[in-house]
Amino acid sequence: MKLAADRILGLALIGLAAFAAAQAANLQIPFSYEPVGPKAFPIVLSVVLAALSLVLVFRPGENGHWPDKALSLKLLAVLGVLLVYALLFTRLGFIVTTFFAVLALARLFEATWLKALIAAVLMSLGSYYLFTQGLGISLPGGYWLADFI
Amino acid sequence: MFDFLIDGFGVALSPLNLGLAFLGALLGTLFGALPGIGPINGIAILMPLAYTLGLPAESALILLAGVYTGAEYGGRMSSILLNVPGDAGAVMTTLDGHPLAKKGLAGPALGLSAVSSFVGATIAIIGLTLFAPLLARVAVMFGPAEFFALMVFAFASMAVMMGKDPIKTAIGAVLGVMIAMVGVDSGTGVLRYTFGMAELYDGIDFVVMIIGLFAISEILLMLEHANRKDASDEMPPLGRVMVSLKEVLHCKWTMLRCGLIGFIVGVLPGTGASVAGAVSYTTEKRLSDKEGTFGTGNMRGLAAPEAANNAAAAGSFVPMLTLGIPGSGTTAVLLGALMLYNITPGPMMFTERPEVAGGLIASLYIGNVVLLALNLPLAGLFAKVLTIPRWVLVPGIAILAFAGVYQLHSDLMAIYLMLIIGVFGYLLRKLGFSLAPVILGYVLGGLMEDNLRRALSISGGDIGILWQSGISLGLWIAAVLLLVLPWLVPKLLPRKSLDGV
Repeated sequence: MKLAADRILGLALIGLAAFAAAQAANLQIPFSYEPVGPKAFPIVLSVVLAALSLVLVFRPGENGHWPDKALSLKLLAVLGVLLVYALLFTRLGFIVTTFFAVLALARLFEATWLKALIAAVLMSLGSYYLFTQGLGISLPGGYWLADFI
Repeated sequence: MFDFLIDGFGVALSPLNLGLAFLGALLGTLFGALPGIGPINGIAILMPLAYTLGLPAESALILLAGVYTGAEYGGRMSSILLNVPGDAGAVMTTLDGHPLAKKGLAGPALGLSAVSSFVGATIAIIGLTLFAPLLARVAVMFGPAEFFALMVFAFASMAVMMGKDPIKTAIGAVLGVMIAMVGVDSGTGVLRYTFGMAELYDGIDFVVMIIGLFAISEILLMLEHANRKDASDEMPPLGRVMVSLKEVLHCKWTMLRCGLIGFIVGVLPGTGASVAGAVSYTTEKRLSDKEGTFGTGNMRGLAAPEAANNAAAAGSFVPMLTLGIPGSGTTAVLLGALMLYNITPGPMMFTERPEVAGGLIASLYIGNVVLLALNLPLAGLFAKVLTIPRWVLVPGIAILAFAGVYQLHSDLMAIYLMLIIGVFGYLLRKLGFSLAPVILGYVLGGLMEDNLRRALSISGGDIGILWQSGISLGLWIAAVLLLVLPWLVPKLLPRKSLDGV
């Protein structure tokens, strides 16, 4: 058997189906007047998912184009930026985190340092005032910085 | 009979709603024109804003529907000018649109596509006005069993019509339904798939799901497009901007035919603009391509998919408004947006909330005229949007996604969940899945289970109730036929007659 992305996916989905079915089967249900209950539907779904995935394992489609090493690193970098953005979002506040997130993302998408800096300043301040003043949305001010000010 | 429409125009013509229809049309055209940000992303980004601004339901829907129809207009820009479809519905537009641009006819091609979009959408909106109230009257008779059968039919038609791989479409839909199972079970109060996390008790938030699945995965995909150099970033000169009357008249039958095809495809639950574009293009090729010039810059080859995808966009409102079953991925998102307002679209909406149903339909008429008026003279200006570099676009999407999700509950957990769903969506797209079935499954999953359980409660557990009535039996038969015919017909027909397909 050729190793194909669809095969791995199929096997992973069968695993997911088994897990979902087991979770549903273990639900503790209080007395209910209903004939079906909350178990049946997820279990039937798991069976359908497993059956469809089995087709995928035996008849995988094309393998598709997967990113090469350099691109994978960049993908991870973008994900990393987004994750750090999320981690610091409330701690450092919207303006500061957005400034660095825009700077990093723009650099990853091949802007020069100067362009990235300009974008970061304009977008972080512009979006902050648009959201808070224009649309009345409250954004995190950053409790780490609040101690300094 | 058309009272709802008169009331609707009363709603849609209020200054706020008129302004929102205009804003939606403008933003939608921009979103559609930007490569990668289609109607769903546009709506996903705007929906939390509309909700926080405290807009009433009908106003929010008018804004979002304007974005939807506007995006179908905007999608053609990058198709014609750059050979990159702005959204799935505009894929067929590249076939003749880009060759026309290469011939130096980019301006007339943009003009013609705006006119055919207008004609297609107009046909479909009239169809919607005539057809929806009738269907709503039939749908009032639907019980839980009929709704369950209808959803099975919707999934069957989606598996057959959408995407090249029916198995993956089906898997996507099942995954979507399973995601909808997360949270408190409404029937018994039992917690399902929450793994002890309090944030998941209410299920996975709709906005988090949509923004993660579409906007975040789009950021990751854009990285790949940025590194691939096959798409030309050079913009061809626009040439004369106006399309001549002669060129429009040359395509008049094409537009009418394909508008009608698009409307019908749009009404079928589960199929949307991309299918309509493909069906109309192949039909038109067979009917009017005598010299074999389709694909080399034929005006009719451009008018056909453009009329059809706009007609389908309007047509897919029919099942959404009357049955509560969305006709496309984007209407699934609109349906979810309505549910945020505690409005469940369905047959009762025309009688109970006529201001929502009528207001929406009326705003579609207005939006369509606004879009034509915007798109004919301003084509050159919109085309400038295509030159926005990715290093501005991507941080912009990220900011809107983060702010939009954070302001829902001021909750960081939602942002983490959005990122996880984004990676999941990216992997699915890389594996050749289309995301529309996932979102359709997610929106319909809860309804499907509710209706099944309600039906079986009525019958005391007897499964026969699911196909007892004529309507539900018909829907089951139609679903089975849909699944079996595409596989059976090629075996029964002689090979030769299929070569044209």
